[in-house]
Amino acid sequence: MDTKEKLKQILVKDLNLEEVTPEEISDSAPLFGEGLGLDSLDAVELVVIVQKHFGVEIKDMEEGRKAFQSVDSLAAYIEERKGA
Amino acid sequence: MRLSVRGIGIVGAFGTGVESFEKALVEGQVTVGSIEVATGEGVQAVPAYRADTAGLEEFVPKRSLRRVDHYSKLALLGSFLALKDAGMLDSGLSRVGLVIASGYGATATTYAFLDSLISGGDTCASPTHFANSVHNAAAANVAITLGIRGPSLTVSQFDMSVPSALVSARQWLAEGRVDTVLFGAIDEVSELVAYLQHRRRGPRHAPAMAPLDAGAESSIIGEGASFLLLTRDEGAPAYCGIDSVETGNLFGTQLSLPSDALLLLGADGRSELGRRYQDAVPEGAQAACYTPIYGSMPAAAGFDLAAAALALKAGRAFASPAGPGPFVPAPAAVSRICSLRLAGPSEYATIVMSKL
Repeated sequence: MDTKEKLKQILVKDLNLEEVTPEEISDSAPLFGEGLGLDSLDAVELVVIVQKHFGVEIKDMEEGRKAFQSVDSLAAYIEERKGA
Repeated sequence: MRLSVRGIGIVGAFGTGVESFEKALVEGQVTVGSIEVATGEGVQAVPAYRADTAGLEEFVPKRSLRRVDHYSKLALLGSFLALKDAGMLDSGLSRVGLVIASGYGATATTYAFLDSLISGGDTCASPTHFANSVHNAAAANVAITLGIRGPSLTVSQFDMSVPSALVSARQWLAEGRVDTVLFGAIDEVSELVAYLQHRRRGPRHAPAMAPLDAGAESSIIGEGASFLLLTRDEGAPAYCGIDSVETGNLFGTQLSLPSDALLLLGADGRSELGRRYQDAVPEGAQAACYTPIYGSMPAAAGFDLAAAALALKAGRAFASPAGPGPFVPAPAAVSRICSLRLAGPSEYATIVMSKL
């Protein structure tokens, strides 16, 4: 399973997104606001999720802001730092 | 000061709402489910009365419930149903107080949070789990969702949670701090509670609860929420009145119970308490016990109150689901009920309710 697919499954399960399936999440759609509709508390959960499931630490808000644009950007961020 | 019970909101293994509860009390039986739990002997299915909160979607959009755990959903559903039952769903709730009683609290979420803390450290602990794990999280969710502006309190005193919380609710009404109290009793079945039950009972389980068989260990864990909408008794239509609430300890003294009331016993199949009920109830007293309808849980006293309210409104008692045991069966007509709760070696609580 590639990182994007795993990420989508984790988002749906850990953020309890009952109205959407992993297959329905677009790679490029915004995670926050329009798109998936996540909010600021989800951002904090996302930091925990990324560290817990991928072992990647998001150290500051600026890094997080860029990574949390979409599934594409978050998967790229994880791939870049995984095992680093 | 006498209170009146104006509305009931209830959910448990018997279903959702007053009609389901009353039907189960009349029929005297409920289907018991189970919960799987990892034990030293492998994964075991522990019998449990499970409650479904799907009915909450009638009141709250599913999307806004995604951060609300099962425990708080039980509280929300009980609250909405009680307000609906009293015809107060669209009323202003500025003079309403909220009191919640729970023996265990949100154990599933609390232990999920602690597990994540232990296995992944503090950086991997879910903030949502933490928010839901604090003991008054259910009261906060109810107050925010319903817009309750009055005081809010969560009481946890294990088996005595419900009577202790009721003392506070009555005090608020007596002092005039609020005009109405939304009073709820909640407990949930979780892997932790099931594991503790397994440790206590072992792999052998009784096929059904027999709470009035004092020598038998027959408890089956249960979950649910029972909410009552309480006001001062000022003559408005209601299920029944609550005349008195008394809690205390018996140190070598005999419990004084009203002779003109049906005794509603909180016995729930825990053998260590079964004998105490037999000793406390005078010979020849009329008694009933409804715990086989909702299961063994510290907050079960809240379900006893709802059952008593339904019986008093109808003027007739329900038969004990597991039979009368050594006591005189409940009479056909009933106008006064004393709910009796015993805990530990000496604690007791009595709540006397009567027909209006």
